[in-house]
Amino acid sequence: MKKTKLGEFEELVLLTVVALQKVAYGVEIKRELEERLNEKLSVGSIQSALKRMEQKGFLTSEFGEATQKRGGKRKRIYSATFHAFKILAELKEIRAGLWNSIPGLSQELGTI
Amino acid sequence: MEFHSRTFPRIGDDMSQPNDTKPPKWLLRFLRFFVKKEYLEEIEGDMEELFHDNVEQKPYRRAKSMYTWEIIKLLRPILIKKLGGIHPIHLNQYGMYKNYFKISIRGLMKNPITSFINLFGLAIAIGFSILVYGFSHWNYSMDQFHKNKNEVYLATFFAKRDGTVQEFGLTPKPLGEMLKKDFAQIKNVCRVEDENVVLKYENKVFHERIRYADPEFLEMFTFPLKWGFSKSLQDLSSIILSEKMSVKYFGKENPVGQRIQMIFENGRSKSFKITGVAEEFPEAHTIAFDFLINFENFRVPETGFDLHDWNKFVNATLIQVDHPSDLMAIEQGMEKYRILHNAAAPADWAISYFAFEPLATLAKRAGAIRESISSGTDETSVMFLTMVGGFMLVLACINYINIAIVSAAKRLKEIGVRKSIGATRKTITVQFLSENIITTFFALILGFIFGIFVVIPWFEDFNHFSMGFTLKDATLWIYLPALLLFTGIASGLYPSLYISKFQVVEILKGSIKFGKKNPLTKLFLVFQLILACIFITMAVMGTQNISYLAKRSWGYNERQTLYVSLPDQSSFEKLNALMLQDPDVLSISGSRDHLGKNNTTAVIHLPDHQFEVDQLSVQANYFETMGLQLAAGRLFEDHLETDKKTLVVNELFVQSLGLKNPIGQEFKIDSVQYRLIGIVNDFHSYSFFTKMKPTIFRVADKGSYRYLSLKVRPGTENKTYKSIQARWSELFPEIPFEGGYQEDVWGDYYEQMGRGASALRVVASVAILLVSLGLYGLVKLNVTGRVREFSIRKVLGAGIRDIAYHITTQYLVLLSFAVVAGAPLSYVLVKLFFDTFFTYHVSISYFGVAIAVAILLLVVVITVSTQIRKVLKSNPVNGLKAE
Repeated sequence: MKKTKLGEFEELVLLTVVALQKVAYGVEIKRELEERLNEKLSVGSIQSALKRMEQKGFLTSEFGEATQKRGGKRKRIYSATFHAFKILAELKEIRAGLWNSIPGLSQELGTI
Repeated sequence: MEFHSRTFPRIGDDMSQPNDTKPPKWLLRFLRFFVKKEYLEEIEGDMEELFHDNVEQKPYRRAKSMYTWEIIKLLRPILIKKLGGIHPIHLNQYGMYKNYFKISIRGLMKNPITSFINLFGLAIAIGFSILVYGFSHWNYSMDQFHKNKNEVYLATFFAKRDGTVQEFGLTPKPLGEMLKKDFAQIKNVCRVEDENVVLKYENKVFHERIRYADPEFLEMFTFPLKWGFSKSLQDLSSIILSEKMSVKYFGKENPVGQRIQMIFENGRSKSFKITGVAEEFPEAHTIAFDFLINFENFRVPETGFDLHDWNKFVNATLIQVDHPSDLMAIEQGMEKYRILHNAAAPADWAISYFAFEPLATLAKRAGAIRESISSGTDETSVMFLTMVGGFMLVLACINYINIAIVSAAKRLKEIGVRKSIGATRKTITVQFLSENIITTFFALILGFIFGIFVVIPWFEDFNHFSMGFTLKDATLWIYLPALLLFTGIASGLYPSLYISKFQVVEILKGSIKFGKKNPLTKLFLVFQLILACIFITMAVMGTQNISYLAKRSWGYNERQTLYVSLPDQSSFEKLNALMLQDPDVLSISGSRDHLGKNNTTAVIHLPDHQFEVDQLSVQANYFETMGLQLAAGRLFEDHLETDKKTLVVNELFVQSLGLKNPIGQEFKIDSVQYRLIGIVNDFHSYSFFTKMKPTIFRVADKGSYRYLSLKVRPGTENKTYKSIQARWSELFPEIPFEGGYQEDVWGDYYEQMGRGASALRVVASVAILLVSLGLYGLVKLNVTGRVREFSIRKVLGAGIRDIAYHITTQYLVLLSFAVVAGAPLSYVLVKLFFDTFFTYHVSISYFGVAIAVAILLLVVVITVSTQIRKVLKSNPVNGLKAE
């Protein structure tokens, strides 16, 4: 677990990348996440999370199409690595385990 | 929104950007500048796409500012280019500077003692420089907070006194009102007058000084109110308090609406309603008020008040114009007032011409204006402090230079290597300079903390004032980097030029032995010793001066006398009758003026010129009560009506006029002839700050007595003081007692002198500390460089005397040079200093210089002997084993 060092925000971005699949590039990720979190995010925060995760080996990327709107600049499409999937699954499992170990709360949440 | 953004032309946008759906070019350039090359295409595209989205939804301006914000938020370490590093496009010297930085930190760590000397010395000097800055800033910002400072002027006049033309801050009474009528350019006029009154609120009764002013006062000066309205000053029975006075009478509560009773000097009283409290005044002010009431109230205490009397004066008349250029016309129109005044006033008080002093420069010039409303700034202290601060910096910089030159020997190899792999002389110079600026930077931080938390509080504490030092002051943040650069370059320039001069081959061959024999190092040391000599002499003489001043006679018996200030003429009779019964009281006198409290001036008419003197109107036995000594002639006789036309003068009077047979000579004052009948020894009416003046005594009318003075039996001063106070409160329960021991009339003069001397001692101690630090560093480096020599000497049987001789000689030679040059210089400078700052002081002797030399000798011997001890204790084997 220790080696992964996946921050909370990074995890959110990573999940968004996975969810968006083929269209996962900067602005799209930002748009998607802003909608889900219901708050404004800066390009800088998204980009730095992406770059950091790329360095850590959670993401790979390749250039995609260029559009007129982008001033002829190509998009960079991100995709999660196998390692990332593994870590995400691990994290989910750990969380689920923790949730289950809180009997009162899980019952309560169940009743809602 | 879309409709809006497309229909309206976008005014004010960048004209070079006809297609406004593009983000601003310069921002794009900035983006390209800092984003890593490999990320640029993607991020640039993202930004542009986002910008387009925003432009479609929002006005262009908004989209642009959002774009700017996004760019700023992109400034993250992971996204921006590495400085230097793999892509050395910009700032490619970065790596080099990083190395310099590393080397300097290592250098500081490696030689903790020399680093400490440098840092500590510089920090102390910088601490003092911060004080110098704070104090000068405080002085130069005096009264600068007034918004109208350039449009408000004080009316002054020039008049001839004692043969010189002097400027006065007073103005004839009718001037203010006439100015307002006659000049359309004058927006506001304000007359100001001050008076002592008694104020009463419930059971609180105090003597206070109130200020009469026209309602425009609060408009012309910037004194915002905390509570109430400044317009309320138009009402005749309104009073506005300062924050301090509000606290004094009412604590923290809002006193607006309360009534306060005022008892004027003639016993009449009037009730005032508090309609305002001023906010706390800025620290740097010379004009303020305790209590402010409408000028027209002046009619209450002065029943015969005549506003049209050109022969009477008000304390100040201020005018406000719309623009400073309007003043020219007003100045030209002042001639008619001059004629009006000179027609009404006696010839002695003739005005030469009127002038105007802007509020902005009033405080600075106040020293040259007599009886000015502004108390003025303290230029000499600023100069003195600047000098001391400058000398401290010089001392610290010299320490640095000396140590840098001497310790350069250790870094010869480094310089050789640097040079052989391509460093030029310039880069070596830059290296050493930047190292130095780093050291200075640390010193600046230390010194800043030292200045703010130690030096400034110390200075404020013993001078009993607050200079309102604040970090929010913008010029401070210019001063600090300037100080850093100045100190860094002043201390580092010479060593870096010196060190970088050497040839690689010679360095690497080892044929250079520089550093140890630099004549400049010696010169600097001598210079430091001279500076220290001056400071020490000053401190010694300052300390001696205190005991001198304590012993200096006042010229009369101040220890055995008490005085009481009287509200009116009847009170003298009552108190006199009661106190005469007291067996401890030896003599009682009444007087209109009183030594150490006040005096008037008179102009003596001589055939060829006029002569201004101090004048004291007293009862005949005043001399006996106060212990003034008769030198020649006789004193006033009590019941001699003819004595009303006679004068008793002091010796200075006779001297100043150069009279041969003074007794019996006649003098004309205000067109009345007076005959000189007696001469008393010179005396100090006011503290030793004030120069003694030619003084005349006249017999006072009984009705004019405002002071009662008592001579008491020695040892009963305390008892009598209490008994007067008790009698007073029986006689006049309404009026607070005002009086005391004659000894106390100079206020905290002696205390102030004592503080001055202790400040000099502190400065001298710091100077000694800096010199000994520098000397210690030099001696240490010298001894370490000669370890082998001393080891060999020891092996060959050298004893303590021999070793001590070889280490000490050169320093003693330097010290004797310093003494030869420094002793006379110290004498001259210290004399100059005392003549500038003290009117009366101890005669400067060589004693102070001798002490200074002795202290310096001691410092040198102690500093050097620590190293001698080290050499003696060391094992010669270790010294020879190296290399």
